[in-house]
Amino acid sequence: MKKIERKDFLKLGGGAVLGGLSGWVFSGAPFLGFQWLAEWTQDQYVPVKGFEKYAQAVSDSCPAGCKVSVRMIGDRAVKIESKDGVCPACHNALQLTYHPERISTPLKRKGDKGDGKFVPVTWEEAVKEISSKMNSLITEGKANSIAAINKNESLNGQLMEKFIKAAGSNNVYYEPSLKSLTSSALGGYINYDFANTDYVLSFGAKLVEGWDSSADMQKVFTQWKTKGTKIVQADTVCSMTASLASEWVPVKPGTEAVLAFGIANYLITGRRLNSTGEEFGKWSQLIINKFPLAKVASYTGVSEERIKKIGDDFSKAKNPVAVSGKGACGVNASSAEIIAVYCLNTLVKSKAATLMTNSSVTYKGEFAGLDSFIKDGKFSMLFLNNSDPVYKSVLGEDLKKKMEKAFVVSINPIMNDSANYADIILPSLSFLESETPENKAVVSNFKESKDAKDIIIALSKSLDKTKDTFSFASGIDSFKVAGKETASGAKFSFNVDKIKNDIDALDKKFAANAEYPLFMIPVEAPLVGDGDGLAFPYVLKSIDPTVFYKGKLLVQINRETGKKYGLSENESIVIRSARGKLDKVYVHLTDTVAPDTVAMPLGFGHESYTKYGSDKGVNPKKIMAADVDPLTGTADWWSTRVKIS
Amino acid sequence: MKEKVKEVKMKRRWGMAIDLDKCTGCGKCSVACNQENNMPIFEDDSDVPKRVAFLELMKVTNDRDAKFPDVKTAYLPKMCQMCEGNDPKNPNPPCVSVCPAVATDVGDDGVVSQIWSRCIGCRYCQTACPYEARVFNWWKPEYEGSFKKSLSTDVSVASRGTVVKCTFCSHIWKRERDAATAKGILDINAVLYTPACAGTCPTGAIVFGDLNDHDSEVYKLTQTDRAVRLTNPVDDVKDADKKKSLLKAKQFTNPKVYYLTSQQWLRDMMRFKKNS
Amino acid sequence: MEILKKWFKAGYDGIFEGTSKNMRIALYVLIVLSILFGIFAIQILFWGLGYTDMDNNFAWGAWIIGDLGLVALGGGAFTTGYLLYIFRVDKLRPIINSTVLIGFMCYLFTFVFLLFDLGQPLRAWFGFAYPNWGQGVYPVSMLTEVFFCLSLYFCILVVELIPTVLEHKVLIKNKYVAMVAHYMHLLMWTMAAGGTFLSFFHQGSLGGGMWGVLYAKTVWYAPHFFFMAVVAAMAGGTSFMTLVPYIAGKIMKKEVVPMETYQILTRISGFIFIFYFIFRSYDIYAAVYKYAPMGGREFIDMWGGYYGIWMLVLEMLLFAGPLIFLNIKKYREQEKFMVIGASCGVGAIVVSKLSVLLHGFSAPNFPWKGFTAYGPTFQEWIITFGVFALMILIYMAFVKWFPLFPHLEHNEHDAHH
Repeated sequence: MKKIERKDFLKLGGGAVLGGLSGWVFSGAPFLGFQWLAEWTQDQYVPVKGFEKYAQAVSDSCPAGCKVSVRMIGDRAVKIESKDGVCPACHNALQLTYHPERISTPLKRKGDKGDGKFVPVTWEEAVKEISSKMNSLITEGKANSIAAINKNESLNGQLMEKFIKAAGSNNVYYEPSLKSLTSSALGGYINYDFANTDYVLSFGAKLVEGWDSSADMQKVFTQWKTKGTKIVQADTVCSMTASLASEWVPVKPGTEAVLAFGIANYLITGRRLNSTGEEFGKWSQLIINKFPLAKVASYTGVSEERIKKIGDDFSKAKNPVAVSGKGACGVNASSAEIIAVYCLNTLVKSKAATLMTNSSVTYKGEFAGLDSFIKDGKFSMLFLNNSDPVYKSVLGEDLKKKMEKAFVVSINPIMNDSANYADIILPSLSFLESETPENKAVVSNFKESKDAKDIIIALSKSLDKTKDTFSFASGIDSFKVAGKETASGAKFSFNVDKIKNDIDALDKKFAANAEYPLFMIPVEAPLVGDGDGLAFPYVLKSIDPTVFYKGKLLVQINRETGKKYGLSENESIVIRSARGKLDKVYVHLTDTVAPDTVAMPLGFGHESYTKYGSDKGVNPKKIMAADVDPLTGTADWWSTRVKIS
Repeated sequence: MKEKVKEVKMKRRWGMAIDLDKCTGCGKCSVACNQENNMPIFEDDSDVPKRVAFLELMKVTNDRDAKFPDVKTAYLPKMCQMCEGNDPKNPNPPCVSVCPAVATDVGDDGVVSQIWSRCIGCRYCQTACPYEARVFNWWKPEYEGSFKKSLSTDVSVASRGTVVKCTFCSHIWKRERDAATAKGILDINAVLYTPACAGTCPTGAIVFGDLNDHDSEVYKLTQTDRAVRLTNPVDDVKDADKKKSLLKAKQFTNPKVYYLTSQQWLRDMMRFKKNS
Repeated sequence: MEILKKWFKAGYDGIFEGTSKNMRIALYVLIVLSILFGIFAIQILFWGLGYTDMDNNFAWGAWIIGDLGLVALGGGAFTTGYLLYIFRVDKLRPIINSTVLIGFMCYLFTFVFLLFDLGQPLRAWFGFAYPNWGQGVYPVSMLTEVFFCLSLYFCILVVELIPTVLEHKVLIKNKYVAMVAHYMHLLMWTMAAGGTFLSFFHQGSLGGGMWGVLYAKTVWYAPHFFFMAVVAAMAGGTSFMTLVPYIAGKIMKKEVVPMETYQILTRISGFIFIFYFIFRSYDIYAAVYKYAPMGGREFIDMWGGYYGIWMLVLEMLLFAGPLIFLNIKKYREQEKFMVIGASCGVGAIVVSKLSVLLHGFSAPNFPWKGFTAYGPTFQEWIITFGVFALMILIYMAFVKWFPLFPHLEHNEHDAHH
């Protein structure tokens, strides 16, 4: 046998390597390797598979009680569907339920208030601390210094009201809403029979953009479209409602009330109509004297002829209705305005607006409303039931200061600006996790969080004074005692003495002002609303680039006004009002906004609303007008005199 | 059995009609689309040109040509327009032919599909698309912590550097077909479906259906005078001969998504011409 | 450690020994750019394209401009090769090595740019594995064509470049190497022919077809784009091939290529520029009166914005250079005018590519949107200029260590005797 020499060995080896290599290449292995490398380097997440089914849920945390159908994969909820329409908050419930910054256990404050430092405690410790604090206040005879702020009138809000009242305090307030404002101004909120109206006269109510119960309003809107209902919208910006309305009445910022006075004046003097409301004579005298049509025309920018035309159309319609409550999710109107607009309904004897009350909810406490409570009230202990007054109230900064001196308990599923000032935070649920009499919970409770209803019941049981408030031990039973809506039967009163000052002050408000020549009014972006949506990434994903773009919050200013002030698109400006200034806002020039108006998006500028919602833009409430209305106890922040530089 | 399934011819040609006079801009379609299609979740999604979303709720105003108060506003939900080119029988969307890796194709139901895992990320299709309907994963799609629990198993999570797009939620159709198959119905044409956006629209502005079925609501809507397609200039040519010669000279997108509106300003805004 | 130091020193001396101060600064800049290129390349390849200013609207940016420019200018390599090997214009021989090297690098770095532009570089081979060929002989997707043509042409350029490497004074001493080099030279015409065919195709696709097939985008749609890009590459490429060795010669203060060769190439370039100018004028005419109205738009509305009319005007001004200086013998024979003419020619081609890309993406797709601007990020600039720096370095290395300019060697050889 021939001896294998070194050369041959090398040849053989080389051949083997070459052959192996080509075999490897042609086998496709390297390409498979690339594929693995791609998958490995990119770490793609694969959702966990599971049995597919649908579960039903009814929201117990929104006042509309949205009914949804939830698509489930195993025990995970992956999609919210609804045949009946769903409000933005409930539509986003998945992102609340699975929010990575859900509060998992009761928390106790560690550092200074506002630092956001908390340590976990057990439920027993938390409840014990709260009840001992409450007990000592009650025994000291300071029960009335215990207060609560509810987000809305949902069942847990009603339970909270019962609990606090049972403890001996009168101070239960609600975040201002259409219901709370109208209830306080008129003695009952208005139940609109929109389905049967043929003429809707809206004073800045952005009817299809989140106003009142948004899911219902969308349905109402389709009915209007098919029936050809006439919609007349008084608005300062070309909102969607204004654009979809049959007629848009462009008014100068904040003059919706004046327009209502003008129309009322015309209907009373020109068409000899009467209202049955108390003090009508006194009120009509005041309006007729103070607001002749020429003056109304100059204030609102709507011609006398047009005011008369609207008055004629309105009064001649078969079933007209006038709607007050400017805004969409964040509603605002002075009592003078609500009364004036409701007066129009009474003048034409509208069948479509009925005053209602809820047996379990009183919007007034020791003070007329939340803002007057923040301004003048004193409290040693405060319950926040899913509410965020620090962010939403124009007096939020004042509230912060008062909260620093009080013992604050916050019940909410994720952090917000107000909870950041709490001593104890109790984690509550998203509605997908809570049980209702009709349905079981769709997903199980997140870690140690509990149903807000159960939390409130447990708190009441822990106190001697309140332990008999509720005859049941579990939140699920509380559905039986939910408040009933009934016609208020209250006699509508113009309350002239209370609102006269506000009406008098209008002259000053609309007089030329050299220092603050412009008006700032709020606008809302879809889904963001007045701020609740901002913690949810899919809301962030839908924000239009003309509102919030590359981290910059844009205010809308009319082109002519922009020219007057030498502004260019995307330019940074500072907005100043008598109450302060807003930095880091940028200009978007558009003719959809009235001249001399700064249209400011609401809902931005949270301080601690999870990392998704925080530090985005500015919160205009900080500089908005803060004159508190005597009847509603809510600040009249809609239009604020500002200057820009 | 298998033979039988093969014989069944595709009847469907999915299309959509969106009534802009009914659209209130509530944004539910956008949220539903994001949920259904596992859209990535970012801390700050305000870099709109790099945003990954299949459905864009575009705000349209006519203030380019009009002054206050003669202005109007509308929201226009824009998804993939499912172009079919000049010949519906031989669809030719601008994006499909350019793909170097056959990652995108047009099915015989007219839906322009995209396979995330085949895409090499060259973005030629984005360049070709005149509707900005295709989005690229500029960053790795993120789903922080427990957000992962809300992910659907029907749509695969895309990796960084791939182009993704609206598919008319065709996975829902597959889901419905699977359910039908379980009941013994094997005909592909037996099942209809509703994409997430159309299913959630509270005012019923989005209507989805089969354009080949002349009894369907969507077909009837597309035949009305109110129907208008986005920037498709050949639609404006009323003269039949002229139209024919134009179609002979050049491909047009001819989308299967129709917008409905009787507002002239909005119709004008959907064309590159001044408001009348 | 000591060894590393020694190596470093040897390398340093090898590169910098005997260089002037200016040269040294230039080298430092180029090397720093190349290193930064390496660093940011890792960032882009590993963490994605989010770091660029490209977006869903401006889907391609600086790198595709690099691609278009490199391919168009690199097209000079095939034109020159074709003239030399097929038409036997032997006076072009002194420049052919440089030309082939430039062509090689242009295509190599087109690959590099393309790879950076891919969101999934690890899936680049899908282009070969799942080509979008469609029914016919010719692929449906321009990029499929790019994948195949570019690869093949790149292989050809490698083959064309090998003799230059083999002719290195150390290697050529080996008789096998010398033989291979010799026969490769003899067979080069086949390569040139194949290369011309492929490059022709390829010019059309990456340079033109890439845009012309986008029927839905009125800004780009022009069915003749394909052919115009071929003419553009021939016109601009030849100018570029003149310019590079000319600059090298100026820096080295030596006559690297005889003037005669420059004259032939620039004359050809100038001649083709006439055709290109006519073609481009027709292109604009067709856009204004035919394709813009077809797409329901007005040319003047479409060509506003940040990169609109002024780029067209600039391109037209630059056209004057090659048209006048390269075609009129009196001017061409003056070195100064020849260089100005060739530079303007290269400029005109680059500006036309810039305008196609920047303007095309900038023009709004929807009537309610405005023109958008594109500002490349630091990473994009670095990768773009890093590639150019690498190209210059490679060219310099070849000048220094390989017989890139046979003319120069002959002269030196003569001087020795």
